Amino acid sequence: MAPVQAQVLLSPAELSYLHSSLSLNPPIRPDGRSPTQFRPLVAESDILPGANGSARVCFADGTEAIVGVKAEVEKSQWRPTPQKESADVEMDDEQEEEPGVGENSWVEMSIEIPGFRDDDPLPVFLSAMLTEALLASGDLKDRLYINRRFHWKLYVDILLISPPLAYPLPLLSLTTHLALLSARLPALKSERDEDPLFDDDWEASTPIYPRSGRQKPYSAYLDKPPVTLLVMAVGQNIIFDPSKEELAVAEAVMAISCAASQSQTAEAVRLLSIRTIDPPSRLTPPGIPNLLNSATGGVAPVSSTDAMAQREAMSLLGVWTPPRGGIKRNLVGRVLKMVVEKGGVAEEVLEALEKIEVES
Amino acid sequence: MPLDTSTYALALLRLDGRRWNELRRIHAQISTQAAADGSSYLEMGNTQVICTVTGPAEGRNTGAGRSGGKEGEANLEVEIGFAGFSGVDRKRRGKGDKRTAEMAHTLSTAFSSLILMHLYPHSTISIHINILSQDGSILAACINAATLALVDAGVPMTDYLVACTAASSPTTSTSAGSDDVSDPLLDLNAMEEQELPFLTLATVGGGEKITVLVMETRVRVERIEGMLAVGIEGCKRVKDILDGVVRGFGV
Repeated sequence: MAPVQAQVLLSPAELSYLHSSLSLNPPIRPDGRSPTQFRPLVAESDILPGANGSARVCFADGTEAIVGVKAEVEKSQWRPTPQKESADVEMDDEQEEEPGVGENSWVEMSIEIPGFRDDDPLPVFLSAMLTEALLASGDLKDRLYINRRFHWKLYVDILLISPPLAYPLPLLSLTTHLALLSARLPALKSERDEDPLFDDDWEASTPIYPRSGRQKPYSAYLDKPPVTLLVMAVGQNIIFDPSKEELAVAEAVMAISCAASQSQTAEAVRLLSIRTIDPPSRLTPPGIPNLLNSATGGVAPVSSTDAMAQREAMSLLGVWTPPRGGIKRNLVGRVLKMVVEKGGVAEEVLEALEKIEVES
Repeated sequence: MPLDTSTYALALLRLDGRRWNELRRIHAQISTQAAADGSSYLEMGNTQVICTVTGPAEGRNTGAGRSGGKEGEANLEVEIGFAGFSGVDRKRRGKGDKRTAEMAHTLSTAFSSLILMHLYPHSTISIHINILSQDGSILAACINAATLALVDAGVPMTDYLVACTAASSPTTSTSAGSDDVSDPLLDLNAMEEQELPFLTLATVGGGEKITVLVMETRVRVERIEGMLAVGIEGCKRVKDILDGVVRGFGV
């Protein structure tokens, strides 16, 4: 495997050019997309015969991921339920409906990225972020409940086939979404607290994310797995699905997880989690203004602290300065509005993903 | 042998309905991934393998004395990964798994003799294989997928390396009571692999020159010849299929 290019090889002048074209209104992106437009991708789902659900997504830049979802029956840990001791048989059916029977440990995620160890920060951070969204989205873990003694354990294995050219979060999230959408569990034949016995017929299996019987396009799924979107900001502009080059000049990067909301209220999408990501632009080399460059008639600073102090004082257009500081609060607000609002980006993404043929 | 004897003797059909000398469906694609120098996807029945090739390129450990590769020729790295969801039970195989390492070693020695390594001194060619679904003949599928990916990457080789498996099942002919007659089978699936002694062989260009021969089970030496004959015949057909894929891509 070729060495993983963690950093984009752009000179301070190129970075400055990119930054200023991205901060125009409307921004001009290097690949000509509009701020909310995603990169084209090729997606397939239900590709593996041996997994409960699977998907493969290829971005146009060549990054490719495969996700397989596998479910196994596991014995639940015994939990005392003091109140229901007397009326145990009658309560059973009710208990299945009760929210909160699922446990977080029933979903396990692992990410494999070529060139990285399992315990490297990138895979660990990514899997934490994706698991967090998955568990926060509500009743997935409750649906893994079989009876009081057994439950499904869901393994989500993410395989990045290509080296991580851009920040792989959106790719992995979209692939996981598709794989979970196509995932099915065998139908249960046994009753109540018996040892579970399942229907051999795969046709009778039930999807983890159920659909209502009607063929209406959007409300066809009663619930959908979450998606995590990568958003970056340059100046006042908010840019979705940034490429590697764009990330190199980002002033702020955020990962936003959201899922379709079940209630038919004003917002079609509900927010699950927000995380800020340290933008890679902080590590880029700064440009040196003419005033500080003795080769162009300037006066070179005597020490690095002196250089920093002098740079702080001048604000020069066209000289690349790596961004500092955090995200402004009203920027976060605007990003969230763009994601969550009706007809916003998240709704569009969820709708588009649903169109990908899922065999049923 | 509870699996084969009962039904195979009656109709001479195997569990999945094939005859003794039939291959499973082979489906392959090349250039599946834009980011890699060469890539391929191969299905043999329910076995699915994805392979990417990077290089010839400068090796990873530059500066530390050797810049990838031996003195006068390229260095070949093979990495095989079993996906957690590939088997019947979900199981993760670590990087240090000995069987995986042995498969990788088999591939790297086989391809080193086939690739014109002297053309790329001080460089590395790396082959990454991901096994997505296992249903028998995994080593054979890896070899075939690697061949396709190397062709896609444009790495000069003398010929294709094609592989398949062959097994030996107890005889079904009624006349013979002796042990030295046996029925060979071609291209095993996972269930047959558990029941029968089998070997994996790879030939150069579908000819009669065998470069890989791996056998992990015990079998009477008289049966080997029949297995090899069937295997070589199978490799010839695999070669035609892979050749068709490569030519079809060029159109």
